[in-house]
Amino acid sequence: MRTNKFGIRIATSALALGVSLGAHAVTDQDIMNDQNTPEDIVSYGMGTQGQRYSTIEDLNRDNIRFLQPAWAFSFGSEKMRGQESQPMIKDGVMYVTASYSRVYAIDARTGQELWQYDARLPDGIMPCCDVVNRGVALYDDKVIFGTLDAKLVALNKDTGKPMWIKTVADYQAGYAITAAPIVVKGKVITGVSGGEFGIVGKVEAYDANTGEIIWTRPTVEGHMGYVYKDGKKVENGISGGEAGKTWPGDMWKNGGAATWLGGTYDADTDSLFFGTGNPAPWNSHLRPGDNLFSSSRVAIDPDDGSIKWHFQTTPHDGWDYDGVNELISFDYMENGKKVMAAATADRNGFFYVLNRENGDFIRGFPFVDKITWAEGLDPKTGRPIYAENGRPGDPAEMSEGKGETVVAFPSFLGGKNWMPMAYSQQTGLFYVPSNEWSMDIWNEPVSYKKGAAFLGAGFTIKPANDDYIGVLRAMDPKTGKEVWRYENPAPLWGGVMTTAGDLVFTGTPEGFLKAFDAKTGEELYKFNTGSGVVGTPVTWTMDGEQYVSVASGWGGAVPLWGGEVAKVVKDFNQGGMVWTFKLPSDRVASK
Amino acid sequence: MKPLFLSLLLLMCWPWAGAQEMNDGEPLLNRPADRTYDIILESGYIKVGVYRDFPPYSYERNGEPAGIDVDIGRRIAEEMGVEFKVHWITPDETLGDDLRNNVWKGHYLAKQRLADLMLRVPYDKEYAYMQDSTGEYINEQVVMFGPYQQETWQIAYDPQQLDSVQTIAVFQYNPVGVEIDTLPDFYMSSGLQGRMRDQVRHYPNLREAFSGMRAGDVSAVMGMRAEIDHELAQVENERFVKAANGFPGIGKQAWDVGMAIKHTHRQLGYAVEAIIGEIVTSGQMNELFSRNGLSYSVPQYYREFLDEESIARAEGSQGQGSNTK
Repeated sequence: MRTNKFGIRIATSALALGVSLGAHAVTDQDIMNDQNTPEDIVSYGMGTQGQRYSTIEDLNRDNIRFLQPAWAFSFGSEKMRGQESQPMIKDGVMYVTASYSRVYAIDARTGQELWQYDARLPDGIMPCCDVVNRGVALYDDKVIFGTLDAKLVALNKDTGKPMWIKTVADYQAGYAITAAPIVVKGKVITGVSGGEFGIVGKVEAYDANTGEIIWTRPTVEGHMGYVYKDGKKVENGISGGEAGKTWPGDMWKNGGAATWLGGTYDADTDSLFFGTGNPAPWNSHLRPGDNLFSSSRVAIDPDDGSIKWHFQTTPHDGWDYDGVNELISFDYMENGKKVMAAATADRNGFFYVLNRENGDFIRGFPFVDKITWAEGLDPKTGRPIYAENGRPGDPAEMSEGKGETVVAFPSFLGGKNWMPMAYSQQTGLFYVPSNEWSMDIWNEPVSYKKGAAFLGAGFTIKPANDDYIGVLRAMDPKTGKEVWRYENPAPLWGGVMTTAGDLVFTGTPEGFLKAFDAKTGEELYKFNTGSGVVGTPVTWTMDGEQYVSVASGWGGAVPLWGGEVAKVVKDFNQGGMVWTFKLPSDRVASK
Repeated sequence: MKPLFLSLLLLMCWPWAGAQEMNDGEPLLNRPADRTYDIILESGYIKVGVYRDFPPYSYERNGEPAGIDVDIGRRIAEEMGVEFKVHWITPDETLGDDLRNNVWKGHYLAKQRLADLMLRVPYDKEYAYMQDSTGEYINEQVVMFGPYQQETWQIAYDPQQLDSVQTIAVFQYNPVGVEIDTLPDFYMSSGLQGRMRDQVRHYPNLREAFSGMRAGDVSAVMGMRAEIDHELAQVENERFVKAANGFPGIGKQAWDVGMAIKHTHRQLGYAVEAIIGEIVTSGQMNELFSRNGLSYSVPQYYREFLDEESIARAEGSQGQGSNTK
C-alpha cells in the first residue's frame, strides 16, 4: 500500500465497500479460462474466442418459465440512446457501460450502485457512429474501457477512480472508440472507430498496468507498424509489405478500414482476430484494386502486432460492407480429424468458415435469404463472384437527374451487423442475429458539403418483407444449412448467448429478452424490459443460483440510418437499464 | 501583481469578448432557446453560425473570429442593431447534417446549442425542395435564403513546374493536390476515365496542399476560388499563379451561397434578406471581399432580375467577370 495521502484515501474507500472484501484481482489465467468458470465473466465474448457459450446447465427448457427478475438498474440522466454493452461479473460485482462513455460498478446481488464514472467528453465532439459503448475489460484491479474521444481509461475496480488515461487517436481527426477492449497476456488490445474523414484503421496494444503503448499495427496496406522498446519507437514492418499494391495513387494514406468492433483472441494459435471496416472513399470507382486490408479479417500476433494472415470478405467494396464482424474460433470433427476453424457472418450476407491457423477458406454460404451484389463465392478461395450491374454507379459518369438506382441485398447495415452471434459446443450450431433488408443506392444529383458542391450518394434502406426484418438463425457451419429460424418484426440489433442447458438468449427492439430452444428454435421465454434490447446477454452463477443479465435501451445505427425501417421502429422508446434475472435454486429441478 | 494580472487578463479577453460563443439554451429541458426575431432584438445579440477553421470564410485569427463570413455576420448584426456572437460549426458529412446540428434540431451531444442564422449555405432551389423516397421534403425544417456570393472552382499552379494549365489533361502527368473527400478529390480521381487518378495527392485542407506545392510534391492545387485566392495572397505562395482552365464534366461549375434559418423563424429571415440584398446590390459586398483579398461574383439569383449596370455596381466599377478570372 502506498503511503501518500492519495493512496490512503483509496485504501479507505476500498475498505468501505464491503462487497469487494476478499475480492481477487483478475489475472491473465482468469481471462484465458473464462469460458470454463461460470461464476465470473471477465472477457468480452464470455471467453476470448468469443463463443458466448456458457457451460451452466441449471436453466433449461423445462424450468425457464421460473426465470424471474432479481433487480433492475437505471443508468440515469437524459443520456439514453442505444445500450449495446455486455456486462462483466467478478466477485459479486457487475461492471457495465452505458451510452456516452459511462461505466458502472453494481452489486450483482442487490443491484445497488457501487460507483459510476462519466467520461468528460470534449465540447464540439462529433462521433461518427452514435454514442454507444460495448463494454469494459477487466485486469488486475482495473476496469478498462474506451471513450468516444478515442481514449483508453483504466479505473480502479473498487473506487471507479482513473488510474491511467491514454489517447489512442485524435477525435478531431474523426476517431472514436466504442468497442470493448480485450486483455491478452497483460496487454490491453483495442481498435478504433472512424467515419469517412480519411482515417486509417489500426490495432494497438497497451500495458494494462501502466497504459504505456507496446505496439501499433495499421490495417491499411502501406503504413508502418511499430513496437515500443524502452520508450523507443522501433519499425516493425509495413502492413502488406509496401504501399500501392492494391490502391491507386496515394489513397492508401487515408484508406479507412477502421477496426471499430474490437477483436477476439485464440490461445491455440496465439492470434488476435480483428475485423476491418470499408475502404475510403465510399465511391469504389475512385479506387480500383482490392484495397487491402479493408473489409477483411486479420490475424495478428499479440506480442508484436505483426499480421499473420488476412482474409478479405469484400475485396474492392462498393456497398459499405464493413468486415468488422467477430471471428469466432471453434473446433469440429471431420473424417475423424479435428479442424481448427473460425467462423464469421459478414455484413455482405455470407457466412465464412476459415482455417484459423492460416486463414485458408474452408467454406462459405449465404445466411440471408437474398444476396444480389454477388452470385456466390469461389469455392476454392472464397472470393465473391460479383453480380453484373450489382455495383453502385460512378457519380462521375452521372448526367442530369438522379442517376440510376441500384438495389442491393443486403443493405449496408448488413445481413448481420455488430451484434455478436453465439456458438454452442453442444449443438455445434451458430446462432446468428440477422436482418432481411435491402438498400437503394443512387448518385445524388444535388449535394453540398462545407459550403461547396459535392458528389454524394443517396441511399434508403427497405425491409425485404412486410411482416419481419429480423431473423435469428441456427446455422450449421459444416453444411451451411439453416436448422431453424425465428422471425422478428423489428430488425435484430442485440447480441446472442447460448448455454449448455440448450437455450439461446437474445433481445429484441420491441423490448423483450427472449429465450429459445437451441435445438428447435421454439420460443420458451420472454420478458419485456421496457425499452429495446440491443445489448448482449450474459449468464453466470452466484451463491449456487444461475443469473442472466442484459442491458436495455433502444438505439444504435437503426434509428439513425434505417430509412423505411423507421415505419417499424419509430414508436420504440429509449431507455437505459440493466436487467438481472435468476432461477431460484429450488426451481432447478422443476418440470 | 494583482492589478497587472487583471489588466493582462482583460487584454487577453477583450478583443474577442464581444464575439464569443453564447450558451442560452434551456438547461432544464435540455433544448435550445426558441429565438425568434423579437427575442433576438430584445436579447441584444445574434448567434451567427460559420464553419470552424475554414479560411478565408471563417476562422480564428489571434483568437478572434475572422474571415469573409464573419465580416458578413458582423455587418448583419450591425444593421440589426445587435451584437455579433459567433457559433462555430464543426462540419459533418453533408450540408443536411450541418443544418440539423446547427439550425433546427441541435447535435445530440449539445442539444442546447443552435445558431440563429447559418452562413455559407448553398442557395439552390433543387436542393431546397429535394424529396425523399416517400415524397417528404427533406429540408422542410429550414429556410434557405439570401444568396450573397457565387462560388466556383479554381486551380493554382507552380510555374516552375508547369508552363501553363490549358486543360486538366496535364494532370495525367503532373501531381495535383486536393482536399480529401471534396468534389476536386472526386473530379481529379475519376475524370478522364481515371487517367489522372495516380497523380492525385490528398491533403486535409488547402493550406496543407499549398505547403505540398511549396515543397514540390504537387504542381498544382484545386479548390474553391476564394480558398485559392486566399492562399495566393500569402507571401510564401507569391510565385504561384491562377490557371484559366475549364472543368469539363463538373455538373455544378458555379453555385450561389446564402444563409439558412429555422423554418419557424421566417421574420428573422425577411429582415436579414433585406439587409443582405442592400449589401450585395450597393457594392458593399464586393468591397468586403476585396478587403479580404478575394474575387467576388454576384449570385446568379441577382443576375436574373438586375440590369447590367446594377450588376456592374454590385461587382465593383471595374466590372470584374463573373467566373474564373
